[in-house]
Amino acid sequence: MTASSDLQQLLARVALGDRAAFRRLYDATAPSLFGVALRIVRQRDRAEEVLQDAFVNAWNRAAVYQAALSQPMTWLTAIVRNRALDELRSGARHRAESLEDQRSGTAPVLEDERANPLKLLEQAADALAIRDCLEAIDGPQRQCLALVYYHGLSHSEVAGHVGSPIGSVKVWLRRGLNKLKRCLEALA
Amino acid sequence: MNYDRPELLDRLAAEYVFGLMNARVRRRFQAIQRALPAAQQAVQVWEQRLTPLAQSVPPAQPSAAAWDAIDRRTGGQASRPVAPKFAWPAWLKPALGVAFGVLATLGLVRLYPTAVVPVDQIVQQRGTLPESYVGVLTDAANNPVVLASSTRYGRTMSIKILRKVDVPPGKVLQLWALPKEGAAFPLGVVPSEGKGSFQMADTSEKLLSSVPRLAVSVEDAPAHAGTVPAPYLLTGNCVKLW
Repeated sequence: MTASSDLQQLLARVALGDRAAFRRLYDATAPSLFGVALRIVRQRDRAEEVLQDAFVNAWNRAAVYQAALSQPMTWLTAIVRNRALDELRSGARHRAESLEDQRSGTAPVLEDERANPLKLLEQAADALAIRDCLEAIDGPQRQCLALVYYHGLSHSEVAGHVGSPIGSVKVWLRRGLNKLKRCLEALA
Repeated sequence: MNYDRPELLDRLAAEYVFGLMNARVRRRFQAIQRALPAAQQAVQVWEQRLTPLAQSVPPAQPSAAAWDAIDRRTGGQASRPVAPKFAWPAWLKPALGVAFGVLATLGLVRLYPTAVVPVDQIVQQRGTLPESYVGVLTDAANNPVVLASSTRYGRTMSIKILRKVDVPPGKVLQLWALPKEGAAFPLGVVPSEGKGSFQMADTSEKLLSSVPRLAVSVEDAPAHAGTVPAPYLLTGNCVKLW
């Protein structure tokens, strides 16, 4: 991964309309960002649409990016996640495209390619040195948090996935998010 | 709902960033973010907090067509150095209309929402502009070049470039606050033409209450606290609009 200071320089140049810098920024960050989008929207073509929208957005908003407030990858990842969640939550479009996919044979991402979000959460916790804090969160809460954050599952989808009533899932998520907040706040 | 309550905004921002809202609630909260800087800030805090969790996601290579599409979609703007194409909230337009008229004698001004109340409400109810900090920066020939403004308790600095600035490739235009006492400190990067805005590290009141002058220099990269400014290209007074 390109150093954050290098990405800041690239973003500053992108703000001035430097297309070569924009391409370098894309090359340096697109694989990570595409991975994030792909996990959430589940299909390559939809994830590429999300990636395109996100980079067009970044090009247009580079002038308002503030280095003092966030790291470039944080800023870009937030744009991608927001766009991916918007895409995922637009259920009508999703259903229409699913029908289209069946006809055109567009392959959805295989389930095992995006398996085990809990493992991703644990890996992130290790990288951030908050594993102990994460382990203190109850297992079901952790599982629900990982399913929502990495795969963008809704309350009802999480409930179906873990086989628990939606009411319990809502409580777990609320409590889990509060605990996760405390773990992440300790980093600051 | 009373969106002035920080704990409510914090909870909604957490649910928004984490991905717990459905499409309808997401759209509604996005509208609230556009109208309320406090909501926008709460979202930014949660984005900072949660984004590090995404680092464990395995990367994946998009197809070459993805870049081609991005290039095509942004290509029409290649000749525009800044491309400040973000969407202004619809309610801001009447506010700007009033603001431009009232301030015609001072020059031009761009105002952003205050912390909780939309600007147009203040303007229409009180018949006066909201309390703001305003700076007009001029070049060596005394031409007005940059208009900087921010509401007193807001964190958003709005910029309007009145005269295009030539910036060497790879350089940035850095806005500085020059306090009565002490060293200049960086506020943010401004575009070379058009309009823009950036979030400041704190509210205008905290940062600018003892800052009589602003300046702009050309820097290699966005400045951080402690950076020594390059020679100033533009300078001007920073005044309190109340």
